[in-house]
Amino acid sequence: MMAVKKKFPYRAAVVACNGDCPASAGFRCSYGCVGCGNCAAVCKFGAVSLNANGVAEVDEERCIACGMCVKVCPQQVIRIHECANSIVVKCSNQDKGKDAREVCQTSCIGCGICERTCTAEAVKVVDNCAKISEENCLSCGMCAVKCPRGVIADLRGILT
Amino acid sequence: MYAFTVNGQVVTAVKKQTLLRFLRDELHLTSVKDGCSQGACGACTVIIDGKTCKACVPTTDRLEGKNILTVEGLSEWESEVFTYAYGEAGAVQCGFCIPGMVMCTKALLDVNPDPTEAEIKYAIRNNYCRCTGYVKIIAAVKLAAKILREGVIPAKSEDDWKVGSRVHRLDVEEKVLGFGKYPDDFYMDGMCYGSALRSKYPRARVISIDASAAKALPGVIAVLTAEDIPGENKIGHLKHDQYTLIPVGGLTHYLGDAVALVAAEDMETVEKAKKLIKVEYEVLPAVHSIEEAKAMDAPIVFDEEESNVQAHKHVSRGNAKEAIKNAKHVITQHFETPWTEHAFLEPECAVAYIDEDGDVRIISTDQDAYCTFHECSLMLGTDKVKAENALVGGGFGGKEDMTVQHHAALLAYRTGRPVKVRLTRAESLLIHPKRHHFVMDFTMGCDENGKILGVKAKVASDTGAFASLGGPVLERACTHAAGPYAYENFEIEGTAYYTNNPPAGAFRGFGVTQTCFATETLLNMMADEIGITPWEIRYRNAIRPGGVLPNGQIVDESTGLAETLEAVKEEYDAAMAAGKLVGLACAMKNAGVGVGIPDWGRAKLIVEEDQKLHIYAGASCIGQGLGTVLVQMVVSNTDLRRDDIVYERSNTWIAPDSGTTSGSRQTMITGEAVRRACEKLMEAKKDGKTLADLAGQEFYGEYLAKTDPLGADVPNPVSHVAYGYATQVCILDPKSRKIDTMIAAHDVGKAVNPLSCEGQIEGGVVMSLGFALTERYPIDENCKPIDKFGALGLFRAHEIPKIEAIVIDKPGLNVACGAIGIGEITSIPTAPAVTDAYYRLDGERRFTLPISGTPYERKGS
Repeated sequence: MMAVKKKFPYRAAVVACNGDCPASAGFRCSYGCVGCGNCAAVCKFGAVSLNANGVAEVDEERCIACGMCVKVCPQQVIRIHECANSIVVKCSNQDKGKDAREVCQTSCIGCGICERTCTAEAVKVVDNCAKISEENCLSCGMCAVKCPRGVIADLRGILT
Repeated sequence: MYAFTVNGQVVTAVKKQTLLRFLRDELHLTSVKDGCSQGACGACTVIIDGKTCKACVPTTDRLEGKNILTVEGLSEWESEVFTYAYGEAGAVQCGFCIPGMVMCTKALLDVNPDPTEAEIKYAIRNNYCRCTGYVKIIAAVKLAAKILREGVIPAKSEDDWKVGSRVHRLDVEEKVLGFGKYPDDFYMDGMCYGSALRSKYPRARVISIDASAAKALPGVIAVLTAEDIPGENKIGHLKHDQYTLIPVGGLTHYLGDAVALVAAEDMETVEKAKKLIKVEYEVLPAVHSIEEAKAMDAPIVFDEEESNVQAHKHVSRGNAKEAIKNAKHVITQHFETPWTEHAFLEPECAVAYIDEDGDVRIISTDQDAYCTFHECSLMLGTDKVKAENALVGGGFGGKEDMTVQHHAALLAYRTGRPVKVRLTRAESLLIHPKRHHFVMDFTMGCDENGKILGVKAKVASDTGAFASLGGPVLERACTHAAGPYAYENFEIEGTAYYTNNPPAGAFRGFGVTQTCFATETLLNMMADEIGITPWEIRYRNAIRPGGVLPNGQIVDESTGLAETLEAVKEEYDAAMAAGKLVGLACAMKNAGVGVGIPDWGRAKLIVEEDQKLHIYAGASCIGQGLGTVLVQMVVSNTDLRRDDIVYERSNTWIAPDSGTTSGSRQTMITGEAVRRACEKLMEAKKDGKTLADLAGQEFYGEYLAKTDPLGADVPNPVSHVAYGYATQVCILDPKSRKIDTMIAAHDVGKAVNPLSCEGQIEGGVVMSLGFALTERYPIDENCKPIDKFGALGLFRAHEIPKIEAIVIDKPGLNVACGAIGIGEITSIPTAPAVTDAYYRLDGERRFTLPISGTPYERKGS
């Protein structure tokens, strides 16, 4: 395991998939994590692992945002974010609401409540999926609290 | 039932509501401020399980088992440390954001005892402060960290309370620990809540109002319409054209016009009742812009008016046309500046009740309790009215008009109950008058040496739905458009137009922010054309003591523009020599309303039973620190110590009327009144009498800042008793293309409290960095403005550049210990300095604010 001194502002990888169901399940959405484990394998810092459902998870304490996992993810569900922005969208589903609802309990259906709620106009639904502008986000978590699908998470564990 | 811990006590919440409402309404933990309830401002920040969280976001049902901390739950040691650190650093102004900032401070220092500056900025970057520019809050966090690490609170660096001393402001503790009360923090027995139903259309005729269903709703106490107003419906700061309630048959002027008022036992019922009021409108075409307002066939905004012209000013001296014709260098340019929202952290709120004398007493957050008194008296048709200030959570000009006070007064008068009327943030964004949008055409002529020969201009402003201070703002925009330079030929014509947009009125800078952008940009272009530096062209033209301004006024010995230029010279030259990208601009701003308007400062010093001297002045502290200034003046002009003196907030039954907190006037005008009262006190103390011997006695001081009206038939009219002067320099970092440093040199006469002066400068500069670069106040095709606080584009803590505040202490004025107000000028030269720096970067001149093509431009929306 490598130890690297992190540079402020801290960044880390985040997996845009809630991972509430087994990654191997046949009915699973085609946008989410498939549990291939490439990310965990490539990470030199032990920061990425697969959870009980076989879905990738990041330990922000260990992650140094090198971006290797982002590169190897076949689903492109991993991206780098600033750790201070703890409010993140944990879904990558781009299907229309009805279809997105069918494949997952916690998928973004593009309803737009987050977009309307956001005081900073930092959230936009793009291709049926919520996106947060890190630059404009005030990390209040109003979108996470109002999201009817539990798509938006507070990584600090306070609001969600 | 949801059980969680608040400040170490287990509490149970019965209903599902936001944590903010639970903490304030159920537990009355009023340090947790409601600044927006949108998740934007951060004034309600608390700590949940060690992490900061805006209390308006989570609902009680999600908090089971969580551990919540508010400022009230800090340990005694922490309370002392934060109070000291925030006071020593000068981090407290209006104070509304401060408890939230303190929570951020604690949460950071609990896990990171020695944070870097970048880490501090990140820890507070989701909390807005509109007063301080964050500089001194960051310093306070750093200082608190040091004290917590070392375990010892040092002595205050300066504590003699004389004029010139960097003392801790007197309101630090109540604001840091959150026990000081703003109107919204009052919870009175039997208090009900009021709110107005606003017009559905910006311009429509009200055909009928049916409130029967609303009145029948259980919990509703009253629904009032225009017929219920006992006195004058139309009120206003100067011109009485602001309707308290639009009557049946009347015209609405903007979406903020109130049609009916509801009072009910709780806010939920109020909102339900508002929805039950049926208003029938005849929708009419609206006036959206200056262009539309002046069109030949324009709809007329007011039934009472013949055109949409609200005010017209023409200022002329010498012969500008001729001077420009004969000038070697002439530049003509069109400029535009946007609407700007004050975005003070505390939304408007008033609590009104019937007091022991049977008077309607109004506790309000405003810039002049006497204004509240006069306008509410007019509306109620009685002078059995009292007004007093609670703490005021920022104003910047946006709290000079009636927004909630008159509605609270009317509801209290009609129901006999204490009533709280508070604007939601969305209402606040719509309702109080904004900074005027200006369109300006300027021509400047100079000789071959860059000496200004003449300036001619035509400007127009959108003053929106009622006059507010549209006339005086236009006038100040015109008189100050000439700039702080010595030349003789100046002509400007200005027109303010009514539209159906939100009203525009006073805003820090009072019209000068707008015209200064034009004049200073022209001067920078002129410097380039002539081949001298922007610094040099100003130094050549600068007004100096004994010189004559383009308005004809001969300026006095306190005039310090040249000194502000000299103060930045070394750094300016060094930056230029190093090939850095540098922009520069100057400004002048009056202190005192001037132009012949009777400008009275009045104060009463009363020795009360506690054997202390109480300062009563009907002058609002809106966060700038007036109380501290007045106490310092008393200490300097008497033999009393700080502990002998009590500052009382403004009221209208003991404190004499000392005018509006506007025009950077209180330090000087009320300060001089206090100084004069001190002379009388010292006269009474002459025979060795102590305060105890003088118990019950009053010492009154008053001061009239006498000036000549505009166009007075005298060779050299005195337009203002004093002017402040400034030079600001913007230095860009060519790599990031962001601002590296802002240098702001300000001539303030005698700095009463240099720490507070710096705070004003830093706050003013950051506010105008927003004006120059990021702030927005879009208004849509229905005349509806933005309703989201977080999308205004206000600067956040991690975005501020290094700000170097230079306070130039230049004596010369013989009133108020030589002090000249600084409130507004701090915001005036910033935008042209920034704009010029970006021109040096990319060669593109910019004539419209906020400027584009910078890294500050908002992405993604």
